[in-house]
Amino acid sequence: MSYLRLAALAAFALVPLLGASFQVIDLAMKIALFATLVASYDILIGYTGIVSFGHAMFFGVGAYAVALALTRFGAPTYGHLMAGVLAGMAAGAVLAVVIATFSLRVRAIFFAMITLAFAEFAVILAVQWSELTGGEDGLSPRLPGLLAVGGDGGRLLGVPISSRLVAYYVVLAACLACFLAMARFVHSPLGRTLQAIRDNALRAEALGVRTFACQVAATTFASVVATVVGAGYAVWVRYVNPESTLGVPIMLDVLLMVIIGGIGTLYGGLVGAAFLVTARQSLPYLSRVGAALFPGSALAQALTERWLLYFGVLFILVVFFFPRGVLGTLRQASARRGSS
Amino acid sequence: MRRLAPLAIAAVCLFGPLAFIEARTWLTLTIAGLAMGMLVFLVAAGLTLIFGLMDVLNFAHGAVFSWGAYVGFSVVALVNRRWGWVDSPSLSQNALAVLLAIAAAMVVALGLGIALERVIVRPVYGRHMFQILITLGATIVLEELIRIGWGPNDQVMPVPLALQGSWDLADVIVLRVPVLAIGMGLLVYAGIQLVLARTRVGLIVRAGVENREMVQVMGHDIHRYFTGVFAAGSALAALGGLMWAVFRQSVSPAMGGEQLIFAFVVVIIGGLGSVTGSLLGALLVGLSYNYVAFLVPKAAIGVTMALMVVVLLARPAGLLGAGK
Repeated sequence: MSYLRLAALAAFALVPLLGASFQVIDLAMKIALFATLVASYDILIGYTGIVSFGHAMFFGVGAYAVALALTRFGAPTYGHLMAGVLAGMAAGAVLAVVIATFSLRVRAIFFAMITLAFAEFAVILAVQWSELTGGEDGLSPRLPGLLAVGGDGGRLLGVPISSRLVAYYVVLAACLACFLAMARFVHSPLGRTLQAIRDNALRAEALGVRTFACQVAATTFASVVATVVGAGYAVWVRYVNPESTLGVPIMLDVLLMVIIGGIGTLYGGLVGAAFLVTARQSLPYLSRVGAALFPGSALAQALTERWLLYFGVLFILVVFFFPRGVLGTLRQASARRGSS
Repeated sequence: MRRLAPLAIAAVCLFGPLAFIEARTWLTLTIAGLAMGMLVFLVAAGLTLIFGLMDVLNFAHGAVFSWGAYVGFSVVALVNRRWGWVDSPSLSQNALAVLLAIAAAMVVALGLGIALERVIVRPVYGRHMFQILITLGATIVLEELIRIGWGPNDQVMPVPLALQGSWDLADVIVLRVPVLAIGMGLLVYAGIQLVLARTRVGLIVRAGVENREMVQVMGHDIHRYFTGVFAAGSALAALGGLMWAVFRQSVSPAMGGEQLIFAFVVVIIGGLGSVTGSLLGALLVGLSYNYVAFLVPKAAIGVTMALMVVVLLARPAGLLGAGK
């Protein structure tokens, strides 16, 4: 397995160097970002057994923090960027602790509803408070130094260092750091404790584990990782608006990715993100194919345009028949082969 | 003392705004708030039945709400095209059109509810995480089917002539649709309470909330009751959707999702499985939303959240929750 991980990392690192088009680089970057976001969500849903619908909100908090820091305080510098990232992480941590404290206190299953309500609230806040957030139009931050549009880093070993290339590696490094931190987290004593709580909360409590504190810690950690990913997204896309960073659609995507990849696998997010991001980018072509194959048929066109329908059906089928997702099913199969 | 606390809170919420708002405006807002509360209650009542009795987190409830609205919308539009019942000044024809729409929406929702319970929910009883995930998948599918069948854009709901306009009571303008909504909400509340308190089915359902295994041991096929409750809850959601469409005079595929959040908040505020709690919670949400929307328009959504936070901090089990 560890070879596969190294191979995936090498692939991500080499994509921009192999002369790939911008579309392919953009695809790779988005897969990396969403894989990290999904992995952080997996810490909640897979390792702690809590379903949150507010995870995309933290992604948005990170993205908005960076965008605001770069647009509202004069000419952007690296200092602004760092301050934005740190402020996003701090805001995410505080928000996570507050939400977790009073919604986990009630009943764990309320968590889904309460986080959904908060996420909706965050979207409305971002739309309504337009003097600060730019409302529906969002913000397009200008980045400092080497990351700025047209920033030129000269040539290194004959490869021209464009601002895109710098941004790609900076964000990729951030994703990698997040992944390492998360891998460390789930194998730490706290991570083990969380899995024990997930499997049998009463027993864990009887063994003297402070389940509530552990769960709050897990939500906070996962949320802070999500804000970092959001910051990376803002740096890469250079555009932040409520729909693309805060909204429920992002949350749905993350849920689909974690289910397809496999709950409780951490790296399954990579599979889910690769599948869904690629499908998203290529499915609009499907409607063109549909229009070409069945010209004039309104139903055929509607059926090919509503590709989210197929995701929904796929989602239900995966939950029913492969509740462990792609990576979980593979791991199970290899474990069975190993034991027999 | 503890029993009186919810009532005291309700009284403060109801009459407190009088200090800031002129009496006549207050009355208009109160009627609008009660109507909105009753509409939210229709959705939340179904949810609290499904959640309270069966312990199923049904995120597909909002999609059924949208389906009810769209089916009713189609029936009203069809009836109007055929016979012109909606635009006609005759009260009986108007009423017939509305009743037909309600019947069609509820029948479709009953079927939808049975199908959802049998196919989607039954395999995942007792596993909350899977319930959330799978009903969410069902929501995606149902919403996309609406977009395929009726188109992705908002549409204008034709409202019967008799429901348009308003009455003028001592210089207070009272719109007709909210009054209808309040009446319907009270009717549904009375109906649910009557069925739960006075009938044998209600007795078994209430017993099932207390102790599912024991009801099974007594020889009742609890699964059949579960299907029934799920279908009834879905029918209530559809009724709520149709009424909401009439209230707002429009239908959109995503309308259910927005209402679902309100309904969840109401169920949480009211307390799990308590129909009276849901009614109280829904009215609180509706009233406070309207008062605040008048005083500080931008804070309107926030007040719903604030209400939920305050109630959860004071009474984690909700206003009338059993605190299981």
